[in-house]
Amino acid sequence: MADVPMVNIKINGIALQAPQGEKVIEAARRINVDIPFFCYHPRLTMENGANCRMCLVEVATPRKNPDGSVVMAKMPKPQTACSLPVSEGMEVWTETEQVIADRRGVLEFLLINHPLDCPICDRGGECPLQNNTIHYGPPTSRFIEEKRHFPKAYPLSEYVVFDRERCIHCARCTRFTQDISGDAQLDFLFRGADMEVGTFAHTRFSSRFSGNVIELCPVGALLSRTYRFKARPWDLMTQKSICTQCSNGCNIKIDHRVSQLQRVNARVNEAVNEEWTCDRGKFGMDYVSSPDRITTPLVKRDGEFQPVTWDEINTLIIDRLQEAGAKVGGIGGTRSSNEDLYVWQKFFRQTLRVNNLDHRMGPHFRPTNSGLYARFGYHSMNNAIADLEKMKTILVFGSNLVDEQPIIYLRVRKAWRAKGAGIVEAVPRSMKTGEEANHVGEFASVRLYYRPGTEVALLHGLLNVMLYENLLSAERLGEIKNLSIVQNAVKSWAPEIAAKECGVEADAIRRAARLLATDQMAILAGETVTQHPYSEDILNALGNLAILTGNPGNINVPVTENNQQGAMDMGILPDVLPGYVGLDQPGLNTKQMLQGAVSGEIEALWISGVDLVNRFYDRDLARRALEACSFVVVTEHTLTETAQLADVVLPTQSVAERDGTFTNVERRVQRFFKAFEISPEIHPEWLIFSQLAMRMGGTAPYFSARDILREIAASVPIYQACTPRDLGDQGVRWHYPAANHTADLVGVEYRAPAAVSA
Amino acid sequence: MSEQAGYVPVVGAVAEPQPAPEKSYRFSEQAIQELEEILTHYPDKKSAILPALWIAQREYDGYLPPQAIQEVADRLERPFVEVEGVATFYTMYNLRKRGRHHLEVCTCLTCAVMGAYEVVHHLEKRLGVKVGQTTSDGEFTLSEVECLNYCGAATVVQVGDKYFGNITKENVDELIETLRNSNEFTPADLANAIVRLHIPERTAKK
Ligand code: SF4
Ligand code: SF4
Ligand code: FES
Ligand code: FES
Repeated sequence: MADVPMVNIKINGIALQAPQGEKVIEAARRINVDIPFFCYHPRLTMENGANCRMCLVEVATPRKNPDGSVVMAKMPKPQTACSLPVSEGMEVWTETEQVIADRRGVLEFLLINHPLDCPICDRGGECPLQNNTIHYGPPTSRFIEEKRHFPKAYPLSEYVVFDRERCIHCARCTRFTQDISGDAQLDFLFRGADMEVGTFAHTRFSSRFSGNVIELCPVGALLSRTYRFKARPWDLMTQKSICTQCSNGCNIKIDHRVSQLQRVNARVNEAVNEEWTCDRGKFGMDYVSSPDRITTPLVKRDGEFQPVTWDEINTLIIDRLQEAGAKVGGIGGTRSSNEDLYVWQKFFRQTLRVNNLDHRMGPHFRPTNSGLYARFGYHSMNNAIADLEKMKTILVFGSNLVDEQPIIYLRVRKAWRAKGAGIVEAVPRSMKTGEEANHVGEFASVRLYYRPGTEVALLHGLLNVMLYENLLSAERLGEIKNLSIVQNAVKSWAPEIAAKECGVEADAIRRAARLLATDQMAILAGETVTQHPYSEDILNALGNLAILTGNPGNINVPVTENNQQGAMDMGILPDVLPGYVGLDQPGLNTKQMLQGAVSGEIEALWISGVDLVNRFYDRDLARRALEACSFVVVTEHTLTETAQLADVVLPTQSVAERDGTFTNVERRVQRFFKAFEISPEIHPEWLIFSQLAMRMGGTAPYFSARDILREIAASVPIYQACTPRDLGDQGVRWHYPAANHTADLVGVEYRAPAAVSA
Repeated sequence: MSEQAGYVPVVGAVAEPQPAPEKSYRFSEQAIQELEEILTHYPDKKSAILPALWIAQREYDGYLPPQAIQEVADRLERPFVEVEGVATFYTMYNLRKRGRHHLEVCTCLTCAVMGAYEVVHHLEKRLGVKVGQTTSDGEFTLSEVECLNYCGAATVVQVGDKYFGNITKENVDELIETLRNSNEFTPADLANAIVRLHIPERTAKK
């Protein structure tokens, strides 16, 4: 804002300064002058907007007479405040008789075809059309002709129903699909009185972000299929929460009633989700009110689960854990809060005295502080989500971004659309997407669909072009000690050769290299990299690319699970304590624990909130281990396949039932708050561990998640700034103490894919 | 307007979203060349949607089935629904198949005064269809249109790319007979004529 010149304007006689280019409606809002609107939205472009005409105001601008005197010239017609930029000396009136009459006229028109069925409309009670009509509209209509009719509740998408009769053609939903989600599946069809919003040839609106249009629609035209007719807005209570469906950690509001989640709306957090959610988050959260939730501890007797009291179950667990001694393992935790995880690992490490803890589901179980951390000083995603907007180029590498990181996908798209970033998509051929909605390939400047397994060859090809076309800063190359390692490795990988090996076009490699050779480049690597048999090689090669282009801090290998980052931070790993403090004698990792269970080295397994059988990469091993292990405790919401195999199942509270924090993919520690309670018999995990620790080891109990967070902030240095108060409701990002950005190059040899799948 | 609103199964009757139509490209070599030439007239591909739809209307036999819209959208790299929005906005794009000859009778002021409705009613009786309908043999579609800007010869009937002037209920039968035996003046010819307006220097197709 600082470098934007300010202009002097007057609104209703109140003088103020506004940055040039600001819209009148925004300037007015800053001084609390209310201008009604429907189609205006600060995050949507107004080029196809300004069509509802609700925001009309009267405007005059200074005009110079030939004799040099200045008079205020009133614009002959009212202007739309949502699209009119302020200019020096402008005067605006928002409450003149003319404006009042204009608003009545506009509303009378908007309501001509509107069915006025507020009593059966979900939006009733929180509807801008209803509110504006009450405040500014005419009490009656002169329209006595027949209104147009459409079937109610047309199922537009899997989650959205559409009532065309109620639509006022504000173009918010259509602009959302064009500007934000990018699938451009909604647009206006027909014209004049016949105009309607629609999809191409009545196909399904298949955007992965379709739910957002429900919140954007200023009337009850676009409605949630799952929430429809479930509650009235005034019956709902709202609580601040965090989405648990992926690692992005979107800020959400849980609207609940009678101790049940009714719907999820987005909560603004500029750093994370702005004001969007994906459909997985918006509609996937109803598991918290699933009728299948377990509400008492269960113990398996003669193959049947039987409810027992907490007292009984705790005694049983303590007996069995004591029998097992050090032959205990803990697996899971990516769905638990940081507080749960902290108390869990403390219970294991201090009370049971074992380090057998792991949240990873394989196939790789490398030492935590090796790899990226050893070289660059960070573990997964180093950039903030919002940093992506500052990049000139973003390399999406081996990631089905919209599936793995929906909100990061939106940021990448915004970087491209609003900030002009170049996007390079390099993914295995199998991920080449066709017609389905929302994929990076839609807007990437260069697309490289390589043969699976040839990642390193592709990266060598890119570096070859950069080195031989002299695209890299000579100064930087001069500072790099062991440049020859890379020079030698990529020498023989001229773009033609790399192209042949990878099955892409040589020219595409050249174009990609030219785009990527900038020091404002970020790399987003996805699951095909982390799951790859040679993932270390690929990450090393990506590291070389980052060093040579001057981006050692911009490598991102984002985690994918809800609180996976928190599980890492809290030391749910066999070889580190909370805060990545290395252990001399690491415990067993997931795979070793499961193998141990099969061989009898592990006698008790504690599985926290993960359906191990379906999530562990080796399903067969997981099953055998659970069957062989003599005592398996599962903490869960519902009886998953894994829980069925347990000896004891403990119910735990979901995100809606308790306070706590999650750490999202960009290491932002975010609070969520208790919305409702389902049953007093469902405990938060930290309470379970705290009670066991108290009875087994005499440790002092915890009384609330806040207490635990305070202890974390005091004892884990990276969480120092994460006290309950400082976190607020937008969260705080923690930073690595000393990121090493002067890393060395390492030699990477290309190993051709073992099983060639073309 | 009724023409447009009746597009693809009657809008109101669609209860569930439909599967996407199977794609099948139909542009001929010539059409592709024409489109390329037209693209040079504009700063971006979006601007060429209107002429591209005319090419499609010619290539797809005088109307724009969903496949035609897909083909135009793909060739111009625009979203399907945006092109559909354009095609449904303008009434001269046919969204349903027309008869081999599309009789567009002007019923605007001058023609109305000169007996256009007599012509319309006569045709309705003679062809056994109502305005907006197509004869069962697929020969004729009857429409009413606004002023064709040829009022001196009222009543005017446009058929494909040709205007027939001074039509009365007496001589219209003769016109029908002529058309029955003619392969000219089809909806595709009209589309072609409009494409020619965009690329005047080339000789017409056929
Ligand atoms: S459906 Fe809602 S958001 Fe979309 S144009 Fe209509 S009123 Fe606006
Ligand atoms: S992007 Fe992830 S966190 Fe955000 S709404 Fe979707 S699933 Fe939830
Ligand atoms: S809000 Fe300004 S025209 Fe709609
Ligand atoms: S009124 Fe018929 S051509 Fe003008």
